Amino acid sequence: MNRRLASLLTRMYPRRWRERYGEEFEDFLLEGRADLKTWTDVMRGAVGEHIHPTMGGAMSEYRTTFGTVARQPSALVPLGMALTALAVVLGHIALYGAAREADEGAAAHIWQLLMVAQLPALLVFGIRWLPKAPKQAMEVLGLLMAAILAAMAPVFLLHL
Amino acid sequence: MCDNYVMRSTRDVVDTESEMDFGYYSDPPLLVLASLASGPKHGHAMIEDIERLCGTRLGPGALYGAIARLEQQGWIKPLPAEERRHPYRITPDGLRVLRAKLTKLNEFSKAGLKRLEAR
Repeated sequence: MNRRLASLLTRMYPRRWRERYGEEFEDFLLEGRADLKTWTDVMRGAVGEHIHPTMGGAMSEYRTTFGTVARQPSALVPLGMALTALAVVLGHIALYGAAREADEGAAAHIWQLLMVAQLPALLVFGIRWLPKAPKQAMEVLGLLMAAILAAMAPVFLLHL
Repeated sequence: MCDNYVMRSTRDVVDTESEMDFGYYSDPPLLVLASLASGPKHGHAMIEDIERLCGTRLGPGALYGAIARLEQQGWIKPLPAEERRHPYRITPDGLRVLRAKLTKLNEFSKAGLKRLEAR
């Protein structure tokens, strides 16, 4: 196969895929046949990569960093809930003090709802990410647990 | 990865001549793993080896699709390039997966043959 055709066929693949495999794939095509079967096979492979990107090699490392897993909605939602619960408690303490009240107010109900609603969100995150990226998912779960404990700490330490 | 093991037939009617050409293993990742089980190889060597192994000649798209997926799973690793060619080797995890897959296929094959014998 001539270089121009090999380059053209390689360019049909997604940019990220080409960054990893483009050079060796083009060399591979140069040594092979330039028949219709090869073209069809390469085009099918390229379309497949666009629909279901494999993100191989170094790119897969990029995809599974702590940051990329932590930025997933399934992690951000429980984190946001825990931080909101913490803000509600701290806001209540700032406005009304740390004295225990006989009647639970709106702040207490919001805090309770947020804490309970985190559990299914944590479950969804675990099911979705533990099989894909166990190490990064465990680190994010650690962060989420720390946020939950931070939200619970004032309530239990100050006996609110 | 290799759960979609299938045999394809390009002919609807199987006559005596076509029995030898009944179908082919169309699971490129499994074929690549099986090829690398005998030692590191670059793309063209894999294609030739796979053709010798089971009669399937993978195209460049199918081969590199399999390589990318296997590398992503950590079941194969690239070695330093040799004269612009990039050899790959199977990892210990890849060997475990290959052994498990082939064992399953062997069980499937035995069960299928047993059913045929019972007819």
